[in-house]
Amino acid sequence: MKNRLKVLRAERDWTQADLAQRLEVSRQTVNAIEIGKYDPSLPLAFRISRLFKMPIEEIFDPETDL
Amino acid sequence: MNPNDESPRGTFSPPRDRRNQRLVVIWSFVWALSFVAVTLGIKKGGWSSGANLAAVIGTAVLGLATVLVYRRFLLETDELRRKIEVEALAVAFGVGVFGGLSYWLLVVSGAASVTGFAYVFSAMILIHSVGVLLGIRRYS
Repeated sequence: MKNRLKVLRAERDWTQADLAQRLEVSRQTVNAIEIGKYDPSLPLAFRISRLFKMPIEEIFDPETDL
Repeated sequence: MNPNDESPRGTFSPPRDRRNQRLVVIWSFVWALSFVAVTLGIKKGGWSSGANLAAVIGTAVLGLATVLVYRRFLLETDELRRKIEVEALAVAFGVGVFGGLSYWLLVVSGAASVTGFAYVFSAMILIHSVGVLLGIRRYS
């Protein structure tokens, strides 16, 4: 599943560690989502959505793979 | 740190996960110590049967506590780590069941002794550990 997490994070000048801390997950999880190796659970996808104040479908695109 | 840091190495788990993981290691170590001590104690033969039974029950209780601590770690841990752990557990469980039953056939046929079951359990622990390491690498 394609996503814009890396772009959104970079726009805010956050490191992967910063984002991981805000989402209460490991940095490995953030990295794995960004490079498309792992799709987040629905609760985590909602946390990401709330953090960036954007609808889930604007962050994640289920139609395409990375 | 570079804002676009994509370095895949290091999990940098949340403090809660690190604390729970530390507890799992401590409890596993205490259980292993107890297991070795009780095994040696029983083999030496200096204990009464009541003491043997108490030592075995004590080790079993420590083992149960270790399982509960590990369960808590699994339930509270980061979701990717949970996925990695569960995948490793599935492989280790498969090896335990099918490897154990295959070994049992060897015991029945007289080609192996019952004491060799310790190797099956050791293999399960080793495979779980290797599985976790491979999983961490796969998702990095």
